[in-house]
Amino acid sequence: MLEARAFEPEFLRKLDRMVLGIKRARTVRAGQRALGRVQGLGIEPENFKEYAPGDDLRFLDWNAFARLDELMLRTYRADRQVEVTALVDASASMGLPERDDKLGLALAIGASLAYIGMADNDAVRIGAFAMHRGAMTLDATPFHRRRESYLNFKPFVTSVKAGGETRLGAAVDQLLLQRRPPGMVVIISDFLVNEGDLEDALKRMVAARHDVKVVHVMGEQESTASYPPGLYRIRDAETGEVRETVLGPLSVEKLGRKVEKIAARIREICTAHAIVYARAFGAGNLEAFMERELPILGIVR
Amino acid sequence: MGFLDPQNFIYGLSLALLVLIYLRSRSRPTIEVSSLMLFDEAPAPVASVRHVRIDPLFWLEMATLAALTLAIAGLYVMTPPSAGQGRSHALVFDLGAAMGAREGPGTRIDLARQQALEIIDQAPPGDEFSIIGYALEAQVRHPQTANLADLRKALADLVPMAVPARMAALRAALIRARGASEIDLFADRPPAPAILADVASTVRVNFHQIGSDDSNLAIVSLDPGIPGATRARAVIRNFSARPHPEEVAIALGDTEQFHQTMMLAPREQLVVSFGPLTAGGLLHARLLTDDAIDADNSRYAYAPSDHAAQVLVLSPDAAVRDDIARVLLAVNTNFQIETADPAKFVAPSGPGAKPFDLVVMHDCYLPVAGAASTLLIFPPPAAKNLAHAAGIWVNGTLASADIRSDAAGESAGVESLTLGATRVVALPEWMDLIATATGPGHLSVPLAAEGRGVDGQVGVLAFDVRDHLLLAPDHLDALVLTVDMIKQLTAPRDILIVSTGADVSVPATGNARVTLPDGSVRTMAADKWGRVRIRPMQAGRYTVESGGVTTQVLANYYDATESDLVVKPQPEVSVPTGRAAAASNLPSARQVQPLVFILIALALFALMIESAMLINHAGRWRMRHV
Repeated sequence: MLEARAFEPEFLRKLDRMVLGIKRARTVRAGQRALGRVQGLGIEPENFKEYAPGDDLRFLDWNAFARLDELMLRTYRADRQVEVTALVDASASMGLPERDDKLGLALAIGASLAYIGMADNDAVRIGAFAMHRGAMTLDATPFHRRRESYLNFKPFVTSVKAGGETRLGAAVDQLLLQRRPPGMVVIISDFLVNEGDLEDALKRMVAARHDVKVVHVMGEQESTASYPPGLYRIRDAETGEVRETVLGPLSVEKLGRKVEKIAARIREICTAHAIVYARAFGAGNLEAFMERELPILGIVR
Repeated sequence: MGFLDPQNFIYGLSLALLVLIYLRSRSRPTIEVSSLMLFDEAPAPVASVRHVRIDPLFWLEMATLAALTLAIAGLYVMTPPSAGQGRSHALVFDLGAAMGAREGPGTRIDLARQQALEIIDQAPPGDEFSIIGYALEAQVRHPQTANLADLRKALADLVPMAVPARMAALRAALIRARGASEIDLFADRPPAPAILADVASTVRVNFHQIGSDDSNLAIVSLDPGIPGATRARAVIRNFSARPHPEEVAIALGDTEQFHQTMMLAPREQLVVSFGPLTAGGLLHARLLTDDAIDADNSRYAYAPSDHAAQVLVLSPDAAVRDDIARVLLAVNTNFQIETADPAKFVAPSGPGAKPFDLVVMHDCYLPVAGAASTLLIFPPPAAKNLAHAAGIWVNGTLASADIRSDAAGESAGVESLTLGATRVVALPEWMDLIATATGPGHLSVPLAAEGRGVDGQVGVLAFDVRDHLLLAPDHLDALVLTVDMIKQLTAPRDILIVSTGADVSVPATGNARVTLPDGSVRTMAADKWGRVRIRPMQAGRYTVESGGVTTQVLANYYDATESDLVVKPQPEVSVPTGRAAAASNLPSARQVQPLVFILIALALFALMIESAMLINHAGRWRMRHV
């Protein structure tokens, strides 16, 4: 399966020189999305400000008060590390078509981003979500910071199986309930979900000050409908709904248009919320996607 | 509506095959996809899953196969005869002895004839009638015709016979009448429901019961006994349900032996003993009291003569010679029997030599000049002179043979048994087969035969009588066959006593003048074997005159069922009876109208429509998808 590729040394060597394109904040300004700042903690001085009632008197700069006769507060930068979460859709739709190995592609991308994230000693984890019998299951690894511990992701990555339904909103709810500090969240999915659910989930992630990245994966056969022409009874892997259809040159063309339409709509939603959107169509494009597509989009540098 | 041969519905399996092909063509591979959302714009052949698709080609093929299957199975409907077409009637008459019973001023057959004439007179013009009579066999007395004059003449010629009416004959008569649209059956007693049910499903049967309960007496049997030794007996039976007086007269030739009036209790069977007779001769018993049926009021028997007949017994086995002599003496104690080994036998010659009345030869054949009768027992296989003299060929020997039950077994009243060695004999045409047997590789071989050849009366018994077969208590059938054969061969040549309905061969030269019991005379030509064959259907005396020799054939009639004129209650209604009754209550006779041609036409029409549709599709698709 393709996820094993993410643990091959040859592949990892290509990722060694990459780092995540995290926009780290040195100051806190209203309306500015920045990561890695916790005011009042840490040892690295950041700035000075005039005292205002309610400020912590422990940070008063008594030397400045003696010299200037003004109450000044010294501020510190707490921690420069950012929590990175690679959230992989593990619903049933990710397992189909089997030949496309969409789930493998998604896990490989997630693991690769985790490996890249470890370059700056950021706390990185990989999670997988799917709705099983009405209950959202969000499994995630513990945070790891150093590349020496990258192989700890392998048992989890190789154990994820496709199944259940895609409920992006429920998965985001689970994630936000963990009350983690804002970080980078990379959502990797085929996004064959309701548009409203998708947009609502992304909005709530952004509102929680997470730096959200979207990676849209699709299979090659899926996006080109490369089935033999004929009459088919098609069954939705997640809902079980059955429909009869005719697959042929005309339907392939229409199916391709539909895939493009879905991708365009997702891109539109992401753009509206200042979210980076990347599409990884076809399992054979993993290396090209990692080496060319992601740097162009600024997800990695 | 029905089917002539429902077994041909097996061809209906082609329908199942067609349905399978249809379902196979409808079956589509089911593929699981990540989301139906992707296929929103893909064309859908049907809006939803349907189990039955409206496919004109399929339904046309289904209709074609169904029509052909029904045609092969023979679908038919019952339709009334079309207007303007004359209906056909079959008038079936019981001609058994009971139809000759007195009924009012005439007989029952007269009554039946009268009812038939009424039916003919009331029939609309154009209707056709056929007349069929049955007793021992069914016989078409007049084929179907609309000529009323011929019909009336044929009806007038109907006379009852002194034989019982058999159920098999009735069944055959109804089968022959089945082509008619309506059958009128005239009989004195209702037929078995099962017989009617066979034809009532396709044709209306009107049963006309002729006659009513009546009293009748009959002579059941007449046994002359052995003259001078045992008493003679006559058995009289009263079939009436009330006491009946009866005057019985029995005469031996012209000498009256018994004459008495007695009262018979209801349904009593009385044995009248008289004698012993003082001499042999023709014994005639008569019932002088009037009753319904005359045919069973007279009976003949022949009392064996006690004259000293000369009998020669030839056999290479001394024990066999002794056994045959014992049997001969049992038949007639006055036989003068000479036994000899054929190897040592020298035929008597000279002017004083008397010819033998009977020569019995066992496992040998010697031409004995002047013998009146010859009995060949287990004839030798290599006797060329036998074949030359009598035309009897011996083609081999069976190690064992079983007497068939329809021959000696039944007549002797014992079970058929296995005999020992038996010759396979080819008989000449002039011999009448009496009994047959089955053996290894042979379904039927002659066992006993008798006939009159150019050298006199000849009888053949094909089985071997060694090892005291004739005296063995377990082989009574062989003894009975032997005794019967000896009696026939020693019986007088000018008197034959038979049962009515039996075939009788009478020696004749040239033309023979046959006088029937009713006084009518017929002339018959003798066949190449010098005999005429008659079949007496009336009880009484037949006289055959030919070449200055007169032979009397005395026909006796008695049948317990036929002579019983008491009407028995109807049997309980069974399913066949109900069906027959239902069929008989149809307002009018209906005809079977096969629908084969209509069904085939429908099939061809469906095929033509299908072809037109295919041509249309071919034109539309430029012949690529047809």
